[in-house]
Amino acid sequence: MTVSLPTDTLAACQRCDTLVNLPDISNHQKALCPCCNTVLHSPKKHTLDKTLAISFAGLLLLIPATVMPLMGIYAAGQYNQASLLTCIVLLANEGFYFIAFCVFIFAIAVPAVRLFTAFYLTFCLKYASKKPHLIVFFRSYHLLNNWAMIHVFFLGIIVSLYKLVDIADIAIGTGITSIILLLMCSTMLSITLDHRFIWQQLEQNND
Amino acid sequence: MTRTALSNGLGCCPRCQKINKMQSEKQQCSRCAHWFYSRKPNSLQHTLAWTVTSLVLFIPANIYPMMTLHTFGKTEASTILQGIATFIQTGHYPIAFIIFIASFIIPLGKIIGLFFLVYHVKHRSNMSLKRQSHLFHIVENIGPWSMLDVFVVVVMASVVNLGFISNIEVSLGASYFALMVIATLMAAHSFDSRLLWDNNNNKEQTHE
Repeated sequence: MTVSLPTDTLAACQRCDTLVNLPDISNHQKALCPCCNTVLHSPKKHTLDKTLAISFAGLLLLIPATVMPLMGIYAAGQYNQASLLTCIVLLANEGFYFIAFCVFIFAIAVPAVRLFTAFYLTFCLKYASKKPHLIVFFRSYHLLNNWAMIHVFFLGIIVSLYKLVDIADIAIGTGITSIILLLMCSTMLSITLDHRFIWQQLEQNND
Repeated sequence: MTRTALSNGLGCCPRCQKINKMQSEKQQCSRCAHWFYSRKPNSLQHTLAWTVTSLVLFIPANIYPMMTLHTFGKTEASTILQGIATFIQTGHYPIAFIIFIASFIIPLGKIIGLFFLVYHVKHRSNMSLKRQSHLFHIVENIGPWSMLDVFVVVVMASVVNLGFISNIEVSLGASYFALMVIATLMAAHSFDSRLLWDNNNNKEQTHE
């Protein structure tokens, strides 16, 4: 069924479907769509090493970010603190299953799957044998790309800190630091990951 | 003339961006085995349906309270707008501004923007295509930020949990709000921006 086409150098813009013959560009350069200026391809230097390091760091940070307390509150001699995980447990206990589910998916599950996918992919491409199921992993990465909301959650924490500072004494926990670092990792992940390169690697393995 | 992938009988896989020869309307990508169409089928209908859904959900999201505050036996429920009003009264203008943008301007702007784009796929417009494409890019990317208020309420509710002294509970409005945000995300996701350009290419062809 394979029809010989110069598909390796061809690219179509996702936004306007313009067919482009991709030029040979070096690192730090970008190929833009002539029609709508969408970035078609931007090769990255040492993409495998960088992605491997960053995604591993992100995976490690995921644990303190969920388990460690985000902030604590002192009022009238009482103290209470909450972590991301206790947020979800509390919501589920109060019967708000839908919101608990949303928070779990958008703030924990999607970032975790993205980081794990990036880590597993780059690890296998670099050290282990290439397996066909890696394609499924990378496909899921693309599917989940728009659903990670850890940055919004972080802004949510900042806003509620600002709200609570007036009312009571607030203690900032290690959870916030971990979330900031996790946020940096997941942002850098999208900068260092060279999709086109990885897809080509996966394809070569498949043939 | 034959600039687009579609007019060359090719299709770009939405997952891995591989160019495939379209043997039928539905094609399996030769690289990642993902089934795709050269244009999302019934894209406009799906977008409209999700947009109307989010518009409908916008009403209960603003009528029902987002959170309930219990302090020393007093109970006080506040909706999004009441929350913003409280911030303005207490002089927290930047926070009031951020919440207002995230939970009011962004969802409404998204809904209006999507209606506008769906209309412009069908009808001629004065707005340049680059602008329209740019508008869609914005609509697509600001979506998650409207989830902000839900997260604020969630964090507040779990931190302020001091029994009789002070206790914040999540309320029904937050569920509707989260549903509304998901509906707007789905709406933007189901819109196929290539339709905007197709329309223009057809016009060019008929002019020639």
